[in-house]
Amino acid sequence: MTRVALLRYPGTWSERDFAHAFSLVPDVETQILWHEEADLRGFDAAIVPGGFSYGDYLRAGAIAKISPATKELRRFAAEGKPVLGSCNGFQILCEAGLLPGALLRNASLEYRCDWIHIRVESDRTPWTAGLASQVLRMPIGHGEGCYVADPDTIAELEEKGRVVFRYTDERGAATPEANPNGSTANIAGVANADGNVVGLMPHPERCVETLLGGTDGYRVLANVGHALAGTGRALYR
Amino acid sequence: MRFVATLHVRTKPEVRDPQGEAALGALRSLGLDVSKVRTGKEIVVTFEAVDAHAAEDAIRVMGNELLANPVIEDYEYDVKEAAAA
Repeated sequence: MTRVALLRYPGTWSERDFAHAFSLVPDVETQILWHEEADLRGFDAAIVPGGFSYGDYLRAGAIAKISPATKELRRFAAEGKPVLGSCNGFQILCEAGLLPGALLRNASLEYRCDWIHIRVESDRTPWTAGLASQVLRMPIGHGEGCYVADPDTIAELEEKGRVVFRYTDERGAATPEANPNGSTANIAGVANADGNVVGLMPHPERCVETLLGGTDGYRVLANVGHALAGTGRALYR
Repeated sequence: MRFVATLHVRTKPEVRDPQGEAALGALRSLGLDVSKVRTGKEIVVTFEAVDAHAAEDAIRVMGNELLANPVIEDYEYDVKEAAAA
């Protein structure tokens, strides 16, 4: 049985959706952990779900950065365990320095709630193994999703294959029209240097069954079972 | 000793400020000859420190660790000993 921890900060709202999504994946069990009591020992993977942690006060994800759960998450990530942050979870991972860059107000200034397409740019993560070049259709819902980093960081991410997801049209072309928030180089998700920590703005947990309008999120989340049952870290290093 | 620090947090010049751009368009629609708008925020913190040196150290921790994100923002600060109540 693969054990997945779902972190809950004050204002997190996607943890139950993740619990439902993982309930569809064979041999995976989840537990929701309150941020003040987040002990990740005994877990195989951790999710930082979306929401509005601490009301997005100061900057989205900024206050969660100094929560006890984030300290524990740093230790867990340093062990090479798979971590996935979606939406506000991606913002938290960036604020905490577990991922490079930052997420700014959407270039349009508008909150975007829509279905978009992303192309899998790297299969060298536990979440995207076997999905190279696949175009996935997923929902987004965010006001601060414009990914930025300094030019040297962007160059390094591109060169080292650490851009994991890119906004594209349905055919996989990264056009300006397919970019919902003004992100640099249409970047929708990135990985850390070891590949075990991944963040993305779209919501894989909201597209795991046909009732929800799509199943591409399941393809990403189901990977955690494969990654851990198989060769583990060797799979993506 | 009680101190009051005022931090001015601004988006780095090379980082886009869509809020400033929106305000720029709106100011122009008022008929004003405006060429640039950059937004930021002011944060005022009242806190205790043993002396002025320790107060400066504390402000840098506040700025670097939480109140500004060094990836996208710069900050400046001004610190004064709080006036006696």
